[in-house]
Order: sequence, then structure tokens, then C-alpha cells
Amino acid sequence: MAQTTTDSDIRIPSTNPPRSNHNWKAYLYLLPTFVVLFTFVYYPIYDSFRLSLNRVAPFGSDTIFVGFGNYTRLFQSPDFWNTVKVSLWFMIGTVPVGIVLSVMIALLLSYPLKRLNWFYRTLIFVPVVISSAIGGVLFRLLYNPVVGFFNHWLSLVGIDGPNWLNSKSWALVAVCITVVWRQLGFNVIISLAGIQNIDEQLYEAAKVDGASPLRRIRHVTLPMLSPTLFFLFIVNVITSLQAFGEINILTDGGPGEATTNLVYSVFVDAFVGTSFRGLASAQAFMLAVIIIFISFAQFKGLGKKVHYQ
Amino acid sequence: MTSAAVAQERVATVTTAPRARRRWGEGPVHVALLVIGIVVSMPIIIAFFMSFTPLREIVSRADPEFLPDTWTLENYRTAWSASPFGRYMLNSFVQTGIITIAQVAFSVLAGFAFAMFEFRGKAALFALVIGSLIIPFELTFIPNFLLISGMGLANTYAGLTVPFLASAFGVFMMRQFFMSLPRDLYDAAKIDGAGDFYYLTRIVMPLAKGAISAFTIFAFLSAWNQFLWPLVITNDESMRTAQIGIRFFLVNQERATDWGAIMAGTVIVMIPTLLLFLVAQRQLVKGIAMSGLKG
Repeated sequence: MAQTTTDSDIRIPSTNPPRSNHNWKAYLYLLPTFVVLFTFVYYPIYDSFRLSLNRVAPFGSDTIFVGFGNYTRLFQSPDFWNTVKVSLWFMIGTVPVGIVLSVMIALLLSYPLKRLNWFYRTLIFVPVVISSAIGGVLFRLLYNPVVGFFNHWLSLVGIDGPNWLNSKSWALVAVCITVVWRQLGFNVIISLAGIQNIDEQLYEAAKVDGASPLRRIRHVTLPMLSPTLFFLFIVNVITSLQAFGEINILTDGGPGEATTNLVYSVFVDAFVGTSFRGLASAQAFMLAVIIIFISFAQFKGLGKKVHYQ
Repeated sequence: MTSAAVAQERVATVTTAPRARRRWGEGPVHVALLVIGIVVSMPIIIAFFMSFTPLREIVSRADPEFLPDTWTLENYRTAWSASPFGRYMLNSFVQTGIITIAQVAFSVLAGFAFAMFEFRGKAALFALVIGSLIIPFELTFIPNFLLISGMGLANTYAGLTVPFLASAFGVFMMRQFFMSLPRDLYDAAKIDGAGDFYYLTRIVMPLAKGAISAFTIFAFLSAWNQFLWPLVITNDESMRTAQIGIRFFLVNQERATDWGAIMAGTVIVMIPTLLLFLVAQRQLVKGIAMSGLKG
């Protein structure tokens, strides 16, 4: 600052604005946001950890400090490992399918049609405004063995459809389909934006080199789309780990524990059987560590494996 | 391949490609997109038609059908009288309204401070805002539940809304937009004697109409569609939001297999967001796409 004062008279104002007198006022503008963030985001992190080190005493609201007792109890519990397994299957069952489908649809939508573009977009984007609860209700109807449509459609091609929501092996598939559907609008919007962001000249160059449309997709679109794909991958992994509303409405975590993922187990332990609050907090804490770790991967990994122009 | 052959091939593809395109035209793309579009929106279309189908038709059909033989509003009457949907919708509008207004106002203020002012701890405070984006809700909702129900705010609008009155994403989005405004504008306003708050409300906000409305739509949508928090913080039927209302309505009516009424309730609950989507699709899509491109 000291050396710029000598030539401040010839500097244009935009590069050397007089802002030192605003200092204290900035905090007033920030106050509402930070009161909320500290009270309901940052303080609860500490509180959550504290809760995870305690256990609610049976027949009472007293808590007993148990150190990492809740964590060791979880690691020894087959139920906990089941929820981890279910969470992983959710990820495998939703993320790759969701991304591949949405990129293919976005490629079609990027075709420069003269008419009806807005119409197709409206039909395909629409799940983006549907809540997890409504998504659950809509698909609960479709899976219904009597009035539902899925098994009727399957019977038209000669397949005897399963009892989706009451079958231990199909309930998870049923929830995955619902989650993929609801996520599709978002994924297509992001993919399409990524495709449209690619420099038109690259296609022209490929065309001049005689590349067929499929080769252009393989050698121009997909490499240039890799930052978008990476972003989608991270967001979808996190979303799949957080699946809750659909499970609550479609299966309530069942049958048995077939669709109880980590989030659902946190909910059940904390709010259905309230005496397991410590256990629930320990699970929430581990889930959060995984999600935060993945979010960091997004920041770190961006520059490395993905191709930028 | 020799360079002559390459050149020849280039000429060949350049001349044949348009012909191939002319032969097929846009037809196949239209067909593919129409089929995909119908498949994707099918669950919503089915809900609409079923909400107008009489119950006896739904249960007496041999196979599920899309269109009702006779159209009826009976399902809407059933839903409306069997469950306080009016109250649910009112609760949702109040809850969503409070959250949206607060998030927009607080984000504009904080975004403005980060974009325009210099102050001690600016970088650290901004890092705290961005950092809060990666804290998953699952980590905070148990302590928040204990705090808010401990204050006696369960089953109140305050309890439904208070944890969501600020938005880190909103602060970030507003800051980005405000930083894109020319600094000269600020200096000119200063010279004319405008205070910071006057500058923000009279000059910046009208210019930021697009960014602010995009975020408003985004905030409305996420608040309206909330599920986990309203589920745990309300147990009084009169304080349930529409999303929680439809969940319990489903449980009750499914026993009576009244799918017509369930779909009527579903349509009622999703109408506000569907309308918002139809009216403001462009802005909504733009907002979502922006978040992705930055990613």
C-alpha cells in the first residue's frame, strides 16, 4: 500500500478503491448468515461428536460417557456392516447407470433440432422438481402388484414381475430405480450444459478430419466432458449415500434390513428408538467423514485425471 | 495412408455426410427424444390421470390403464376431507416462504460484504462459508433436533425453518455476481454520496435481478421439497408440511387401496413446484447448470 500512494493520483479508481473505512460494517452484513451457520452447522459438529461418545442410560434421559464405546460396538455389529453394504450397493446401483443414461440423453438433446426442443427438455428435465417423498409415492404406485404398471408392462413381454417392495432381493433394485429416475433431471441438465460448453471448433476440426459422428463423440465430446463427468460422479456418489426419502416411503428400510442404508439406520436409531442416540451419532459421524472425504476428492482430483481444454 | 488418400477421404466425407443427414433428417432424433421424454415423465402423467379416475374403475380393471373412462373430481374431495391438505399446504407455504425470504436476504447481504468490503478475517470467514457446503445434514440434524425441541420449538414454524435461514450456496452465488459488477459503478455511487446500503438496494439489486431470482427459485424448490427435517421436528398433524402429509396420507389410504385419492394428494403437493418449473424453467435450468460448470 505504501508504495502505491506515490502514484495514486494517476491510478484509475477501480484498481485502488478507498475501502478502509468500511471495516466494521462488513460484519453487520455477515452477522445473520454467520449466526445461522455457527448455531446450526458448525456447533452441531462438535455436539454430534460429543453425543457419539455418550450413551443414553436405560429407563432415563441420563447419559453415560462411554468414550469410543459406541464406535467399537458398531464395528462389532453385523447390523452396522449390513448398512455399510446396503449403502455401497446403493452407490453401485445408481451412480454408473444414472450417469451413462443422462449422458446419452444429453447427447440426443444437444442435437440442433429446428422444432420441439423445449418440449423434449420439459419432459426430460421435470424430475428435477420432484421431491424424494413424491418420487417415493409415485413409484410405490408403479410397483404395486395389483394397480401398478411395472409388472403389467413386464407381463406384456412375457416376464412375470417380482414382488418388488416385499422381496429381499428386489426391494433395493426398486429403490435404486426410483433414485435414478429422480436424479435424472439434474444429471441431464448438468451433462447437457457440459456438452454445450465444448468449443464448436473442435467438432469442426474433427469433421474436417473425416471423423464419423460416433468417433466425434468418442474422441471429442467424452474427453472434453470429463470435468463434468467427474463432477457428476462426486455429486451422485454423495446423493446415493444420502438417500432417505425414497427408502422411508417405499420400504421403510425393509424387508428385514434389506434397504437400511447408513442414513436410514441413523434415523431409526435416533428417532424410532430414542435410547440409541449415541449410536446414531457415531454412525452419523462416520457417514459425514466419508462424505467430507469424497467432497475433498472433488477439489483435489479435479486438476489431475480429468482433461481440460 | 498417403496424404493424397487422406485428402480424398476428406473430400468424400465432406460431400457424403450432408446427404446422409438429408436422407434421415431429424426424424430419428425426434422419435428417440419423444420416447425418452414420455418414459421419463410417465410416473407424473400416470399420477395425473389416476387422480381423475373413479375408485371403482381403478380397482375393477383387469389391467392398469392410463385414461379414466369417466373423469371425476371425487378423489380430490376424498383427499381434501380425509386429510387436512389445506393445512399441509399452508404450512408448506409458510415454511418455504420464511426460508426463501431469509436465505435470499441474508445471502445478498453477506455476498455483498464479501464482494465489496475489505475487513479483517475476510478470507477465513469466506472459507467457513464454503466449508459449510460439505458438511452433510446427517451430521447436524440430531444435535439440531435436541437443541430446537429443547427450546420448545418442535411443531412450530420457527422449528421448521430456523436451521435453514442462511445458505452458503446463496452467499457464494451472490458474491460471484456482485464481483462481476464494475468497480467504477461503486465509486460513482460513492461520489454521488450514496451509502453502502443505498447502493446495494437501489443500484446493485436491480442489476442482480436475474441472479437473485435464479437463487430464489432454487431456494424455494429445496425448501418445499425438504423431507427429513420436517419429518423429525413435527409430530403434530396440524404442523406437518405437504411432503410429510402425503407420506402419512399414503400409509392411511393404502390400507383402503384408495390410489385415486393418493394420487390426488400427490398432484396437490407437486403442483407448486411443477408450475414453478413450467414458468421459470429457463432460470431454474440455468441456475443448476451454473452450479455444475463451476464444480
